[in-house]
Amino acid sequence: MLWDNEDLERRLCHALDIAKRAVEQLAATGYTDPEANQDRIRPEKVISETAVLLVAASTAASRDGVKARIQHVACLLMPHARSQRILLALCLEPALALDYATAHICLARLGYPDAAFDALLRQALQSQAHRGRERVPHRMLEQHWLMHALSGSWNSRTSAVMRSSVLNCPMDLVGGSRDDVYAFTHAIMYATDFNIHPRRLPRPRAAILAEAEAALARCLDEQDYDLGGEVLLAWPLTGVSWSPPSAFGFRVLARVEDQAGFLPAPSTRIERLTQLHGGDRSNYLVATAYHTIYVMGLLCAAALQPGRTPPCNIPSRFAVPGSAGRLLEILDADGHTAHWREQFDQLRLPERDALAGFLMNVGLRRAITRRDFDGVARLLRTGHGLGLTGTPAASQTAEMLNRLARLPNIVPVQ
Amino acid sequence: MSAKAVNHQEIVQNLLSTKAVDFAAIGKAVAEMGPSIAVADEPWEGFCGTMRTFIHIYRVPTVGTPVENLNALSAGARELAG
Repeated sequence: MLWDNEDLERRLCHALDIAKRAVEQLAATGYTDPEANQDRIRPEKVISETAVLLVAASTAASRDGVKARIQHVACLLMPHARSQRILLALCLEPALALDYATAHICLARLGYPDAAFDALLRQALQSQAHRGRERVPHRMLEQHWLMHALSGSWNSRTSAVMRSSVLNCPMDLVGGSRDDVYAFTHAIMYATDFNIHPRRLPRPRAAILAEAEAALARCLDEQDYDLGGEVLLAWPLTGVSWSPPSAFGFRVLARVEDQAGFLPAPSTRIERLTQLHGGDRSNYLVATAYHTIYVMGLLCAAALQPGRTPPCNIPSRFAVPGSAGRLLEILDADGHTAHWREQFDQLRLPERDALAGFLMNVGLRRAITRRDFDGVARLLRTGHGLGLTGTPAASQTAEMLNRLARLPNIVPVQ
Repeated sequence: MSAKAVNHQEIVQNLLSTKAVDFAAIGKAVAEMGPSIAVADEPWEGFCGTMRTFIHIYRVPTVGTPVENLNALSAGARELAG
């Protein structure tokens, strides 16, 4: 049984309603918290991200409610996307031309062109300095995605850029940072073009998603729903099947959204909210919440595409009976808890056992973070007995233990 | 250790003795620039002087700040819905 499409549409429409508010309240001047100047959001960020949401949502525009909202937000966004501020930026910083023109390009793609803006953009792209900014591979891929949207065809070098990105080599699942996961999620979005004109991935889908499962476990256990939602996009944007952990991840995010009323991020602080009133309070709320709400919108738009809808229940065909219980004994010993656990406890036993790989990834991540290498080894032994160590996270962890085992031969133990 | 080996600590100590590096001024600059660099999307690292990196300013990820209580957030959700 698949997730109800009406429910997915409702969630996407919620994101588009917040997009309307974000444009109305933040697109002109951005947001700066008067008590914490570092909490600043540039207007260009809101404008660009809203436009990207509209493009992603356009894959579900056959639904009247979605279509009407896209049109409404697009009309609100247009003056900001092509404002004097943006036009001036094209003149002064041609190396960032595509970045500044992101919203214009997305709007043109949705059927809202502007010939004069386009002419200035193309002039900036022909300038000597337009390639004058050095970028990491996923940011290069973003430039290729924007050029593809502008020209209608992918660049002949796009495949080479994809091969230089994390899509073509194993993600560092042991020592990697949040930025590394971010690079992965954005590379997926740009390479697949939200399934409008997707590129062929440089590695098999199964290899990429095996790493995504480890990243997802980390995000769910840290309650990082912003990044977790982006990681979940990897399933509907690359194929039709949802693995047990990804189906569970979607369920967790949906329940958290239902309980809070929106998919939250740590940036929305209750204490700060209660100090604010009127417009300040409203702006704070929209500014701190909109991004994660957009991520849920992106996810639901992708899930609404034909054949990409997640299952309601966790696929449990390959579950090993009793495996979840064995791992929970180890995980529960540390006293750590997260929202996913409430959802987990509501599952049927076969569904829980189908998530043993997810539990294994959570356990490894926690033990590595604590630098509890005995605990890591114990988990690997238990996992090996359950047939759960044929994963990138387990093998990378085993490699780490092998490196550590060599240390006493080099550095005398104190 | 070969006869040509250099003592890095000695070099550093000599450089510090010249007082050519004004650590107080660096601290002041970091205090002024830190907040804006911390939220900047790019560059990923700040450097000054030449293409050599003299000062690394790392953005420390938000550690240990959990999502707020979901029921408490639901009041804000009603406001978001307008």
